Amino acid sequence: MATDARILPLARPSPRGIGRSLLLTLPIFIWSLLMMGFRPGAKFDPVSSIAAILTALFMTMLFFMMMRSRSTYRWRRIFFVSLGILFPIGFIHNLLVMRGTMGIPIEEMIAGRTPFCFMPIPLLILPAALTRTLVFPGSIGSASQGIAGMVGLWLALTLVMGKGWCSYACFFGGIEEGVAAIPSRAKIRKLDPRWRYLPWAVLLAMVLLSLALFEPAYCMWLCPFKAVSEYVAARNTIGLIQNIIFITLFAGLVVVLPFLTKKRTQCSWFCPFGAFQSIFNKISIFEMKIDQSRCKPCLLCQNACPNLSLSKESVARGETLLSCMKCGACVDVCPRQAVVWHIKGTQIAWKPERARLMFLYSAWALAIMFGGTIIAGGVYTILHFIV
Amino acid sequence: MAVFASCGEALALGLASGPACIAACGPIVVPSLLTERAGLRPHLRYLSVFLATRLLGYMFFAVVAWELGALASMLPAPRLLMMGVVYVLLAGVLLWYAYAARRSCVQPCADSKLVQIGENRNRGIAGAASLGFLTGLNLCPPFVAAGIRAAQLGSMAAAMLFFAVFFLGTSVWFVPFISLGGITRNQAVLTVARMAMALIALYYLSMGIAMLLGKKTYGY
Repeated sequence: MATDARILPLARPSPRGIGRSLLLTLPIFIWSLLMMGFRPGAKFDPVSSIAAILTALFMTMLFFMMMRSRSTYRWRRIFFVSLGILFPIGFIHNLLVMRGTMGIPIEEMIAGRTPFCFMPIPLLILPAALTRTLVFPGSIGSASQGIAGMVGLWLALTLVMGKGWCSYACFFGGIEEGVAAIPSRAKIRKLDPRWRYLPWAVLLAMVLLSLALFEPAYCMWLCPFKAVSEYVAARNTIGLIQNIIFITLFAGLVVVLPFLTKKRTQCSWFCPFGAFQSIFNKISIFEMKIDQSRCKPCLLCQNACPNLSLSKESVARGETLLSCMKCGACVDVCPRQAVVWHIKGTQIAWKPERARLMFLYSAWALAIMFGGTIIAGGVYTILHFIV
Repeated sequence: MAVFASCGEALALGLASGPACIAACGPIVVPSLLTERAGLRPHLRYLSVFLATRLLGYMFFAVVAWELGALASMLPAPRLLMMGVVYVLLAGVLLWYAYAARRSCVQPCADSKLVQIGENRNRGIAGAASLGFLTGLNLCPPFVAAGIRAAQLGSMAAAMLFFAVFFLGTSVWFVPFISLGGITRNQAVLTVARMAMALIALYYLSMGIAMLLGKKTYGY
């Protein structure tokens, strides 16, 4: 009884009015239309028009539900899982149409004839600093959309959102988040906290090996998502071993472990880009805070966190760990509204809904810009087969 | 006069090749340095031992290769074999180093509190010495470039001098690694360094085995 009394919920905030929710959603609706290419004079074929309209409505509807219900995580998850499912559909279809295979020969990668992927960004820094050469396994942009533009855009978004990138823009994380959502409860609950350091070790090892080998070592040897995108064509034993590594890591980290633990294990335990993004949480203006005056440490937030970014110690300190992806799961699950969105430099629990809105506008704009266009591509592929 | 010119050339070659040297040795030096105690002195000691034994490795290879007449033109098959053996040994030492670094914790590493890094009980000297010697034997591109030039010199002594001065030039680039001593050592840093060493060791091990089996690791 004492335990129940400790975690008695405070009154949950009531749903926002429909009119006010619609008004708050209006900028996102306009942004969705713009990002889907609905501009004066734009021409569409019927299938891509339907795909774009469906995507714009989908993204707008989810944002509306976030505004109306005042909860974030479950609506974001619908978007994120859709992105994770539709990305490979559109991407693999494009690969098969353009090349006839998912296997890319190494010379194609060296020549930069593979699509942009953000994963190797941290691997480029040391080779670029020491040799002024970008060891990038693909084209970073067209002539009008050069390297500086892409990196500048990523940097600006990262400075605002920190590791929020991993919850609102990454087109890989949705696959494991979807798998993690399948079981009703975790089969494995006790997870060694030391595994949280592995992404940093992968980052350190891959940055150093990329410099030594003058190639993006992670893309060549360890990326689990090669299993659902382009991979190195297996022409010999080494190529075969590489592909076996990709598929094993995908099966283990993206399918089996998320199913058993209900966590995003690849993101929490392996992804070097995620570790790199964590650094930017230090300078991002948005963060999650735990209001100690409200918190009775029931640790529901720790259990709900899909990225293992909360520990007993961090809850006691009133903050998340550096790896927090700002997905909002901890905020939504807290029965006492002790976990809040927070803008650095303000007092804790100072208008948390305002902080949430400010974060969500930037995050959802990013989600539509990157994820929305990918979702539209996936929907287009499906419609293309149906119609 | 010719000696001075040769030394100047070796120094210039070493200084110019420095970035390639730290690229080749970085995966070994950085994580192993991170398992040392924080501070300038432990890092200076580690790097001194590492660089001294690296020079020893250079000289050892140069003397043997000179005697065999293969300093500049080692055949691909023995070169692959030698690289394979060096990679496997490097992997072994790195794995041992990662394992031995757990003793650095005063408290058990599983403890969630920050840990103090204790005395290393000579682990640094043995580990740094083995790693330095093996990287000295590693046929990295700058080393091959120096080998070709040294082979054109008239005597073994002149070639050795060329290698020694070349080594000095490359060593300047290792000085910034001392700054890693400024990073606070705690459980997180130590664990990350050990895990990174294990990953890098696995890479070297797989490459070494592939080379020993005669498999091409590039150009696939």
